[in-house]
Amino acid sequence: MFLHYLDLSWRSFKRTPLVSFLMVLAIAIGIGVTMTSLSVYHMMSADPIPEKSSDLYTVQLQTMDEGRTWWTVDNMPLQLTYQDAVNLNQANAGGKRVTMVRTGFSVYLDSDKVKPFIGQARLTTPDFFDMFNLSFIYGGVWSAQQEADAAPVVVINKALNDKLFAGENPVGKMVYLDDASYEVIGVIDDWDITTKYYDLNNGAFNKTEQLFLPFSLMKARQLENWGNTNGWKHEKTNTFNDKLNSEMVWLQFWVELKTPAEKQAYQDFLMAYMQEQQKLGRFNREKLTATLRDVNEWMQYNNVVSEDNEILVGLSFMFLAVCLANILGLLLAKFLRRAPEVGVRRALGASKRQIFFQHIVEVAMLGFLGGIFGIILAQVGLLGVRQSYSYYQSLATMDLTMLLSAPVIAISTCVIAGLYPAWLVCKTNPAIYLKSQ
Amino acid sequence: MLTMNNISKVYQTDMVQTHALRDFNLQVEEGEFIAVTGPSGSGKTTFLNIAGMLEPFSEGQYMLDGIDVGKLNDNQRADLRNQKIGFIFQGFNLIPDLNLYENIEVPLRYRGIKAAERKRRIEQCLEQVGLASRAKHLPQQLSGGQQQRVAIARALAGEPRFLLADEPTGNLDSLMARQVMELLEQINRDGATIIMVTHDPELARRAPRNIQVVDGQLADFTLYQGTQNLKAAGV
Repeated sequence: MFLHYLDLSWRSFKRTPLVSFLMVLAIAIGIGVTMTSLSVYHMMSADPIPEKSSDLYTVQLQTMDEGRTWWTVDNMPLQLTYQDAVNLNQANAGGKRVTMVRTGFSVYLDSDKVKPFIGQARLTTPDFFDMFNLSFIYGGVWSAQQEADAAPVVVINKALNDKLFAGENPVGKMVYLDDASYEVIGVIDDWDITTKYYDLNNGAFNKTEQLFLPFSLMKARQLENWGNTNGWKHEKTNTFNDKLNSEMVWLQFWVELKTPAEKQAYQDFLMAYMQEQQKLGRFNREKLTATLRDVNEWMQYNNVVSEDNEILVGLSFMFLAVCLANILGLLLAKFLRRAPEVGVRRALGASKRQIFFQHIVEVAMLGFLGGIFGIILAQVGLLGVRQSYSYYQSLATMDLTMLLSAPVIAISTCVIAGLYPAWLVCKTNPAIYLKSQ
Repeated sequence: MLTMNNISKVYQTDMVQTHALRDFNLQVEEGEFIAVTGPSGSGKTTFLNIAGMLEPFSEGQYMLDGIDVGKLNDNQRADLRNQKIGFIFQGFNLIPDLNLYENIEVPLRYRGIKAAERKRRIEQCLEQVGLASRAKHLPQQLSGGQQQRVAIARALAGEPRFLLADEPTGNLDSLMARQVMELLEQINRDGATIIMVTHDPELARRAPRNIQVVDGQLADFTLYQGTQNLKAAGV
């Protein structure tokens, strides 16, 4: 019967093309607006590394003296000092560990084929690539020895390799970063994450870096931090070493902990570490606090998806509700005009339930068509967002989930809107229409 | 086969109670052809709607083929209606978007009959009413008489034991009316029980059994027949 109901629905669509088109248009506009905002919201809030997001933890240490405050909800600094980041990385505790900071260089080659440009870079320890599931097209990561020696080596991403070396294997070739040359030892494949969860400073939705270098180069070559540096007390930082020894926070630290037991053990280790540091005159406070947050907790803590986005999604659904209210009115008019035909069908043996489902299928078909056109409108809307704000380039897209969700939302909301008209028409007394037709 | 005992039907509005049928009693045997006559507003159509289970009744008992209709829910009534009853209406009530084949197919689909069997029955019924060559035509492409024949074919397709006809010739000219009546008589001879509401005395006389509804009750037909005879004699 379902196919028969679909056939009847299509005939009904053709019988009243204008009203049907208006209904599909109303659904399409409602779905288009809703899916535009919902897609952006979905991409913003999506788990960027679902296969291990609950195993990766960022560390926050309460380094401030007693009575000092930070702007976060729990009064915790968002980054670590150089001392803590290095100490935690060198300590024999936890699983894979990454200490890192953002930097940048002017990039050029020993040829005139590529104009010099500013490249975004990350100084990081070797576990970075394995920890964040990056795969290599060419070469690989630097060794522990190269890390210890601050070797002038660099891993570049695929886009940069395409730009500098036309996509060919560049391992062993040299690239100039500022005033020094570095040997390319690896190329990572595309790393398309919508949220730059591993460093949420300076914009959560910025692109990932193009160049990755040993963390030890920072101290060796006194490379600048291109991210945030925050202090909480007056300190003299006239030299680079002053900064390294200061209580300023400017580095990110991640650790991989695969079980609750590992997490608890690491938590205990952090407390012990802070107590040890207290003996050295740091962590001047009565209650020591160390926090471990996994990827999704970290994104939530940093308000990656702002309240504004949630309000926008809510408003777009309200707009969809307005569209559906209009559709409800049109459906009422359309279905009740068909009451005589329903009377005939009832006389010929159709139950109320069959009449009800016939009309629900018709509404669902309108919803499906509205959903399809809604996707097209949403694509136009997302294109507009991308054109207007380059920052949203990777966010203003519809992934497969959203593409499949659009017709599902359209159909289900239309069916909800169609329940009353379908119920009204199915409970119509057939007898009154049979004589008068 | 069809028994109505003390059936009453009351239409209730805020201010007025209207008794469409009151203490209506009727027994119909299998194979009968009954003409129901009576003045306008007497309750003929209400009787037909209750007989066809299109309307509930207020009081009384209605037995159809041994089934107490008053105890059935909507789905059960729809099933019973679909299996045992065929309707023929004054206004034909064909669905305008469906061609003749599809119109006749409607009750068969609700009964869940498979496509091949539906095809067989539809072609047979169209043949029976002489419209086999018009299967793909839409109702509005046919004359009134032809449309009524399609409606009869639709009623016959389900092979019902009961045919309920409400003024089946009311919208037809006399020639077409006679053709439709002959078709109904043939169907009755083939075994179907027919109850036909009509205003046409000539058609009523052709039915073997006549009943008259007056003020929602069965009137004494002997008296009615006598009155008609007196009228016919010019008294």
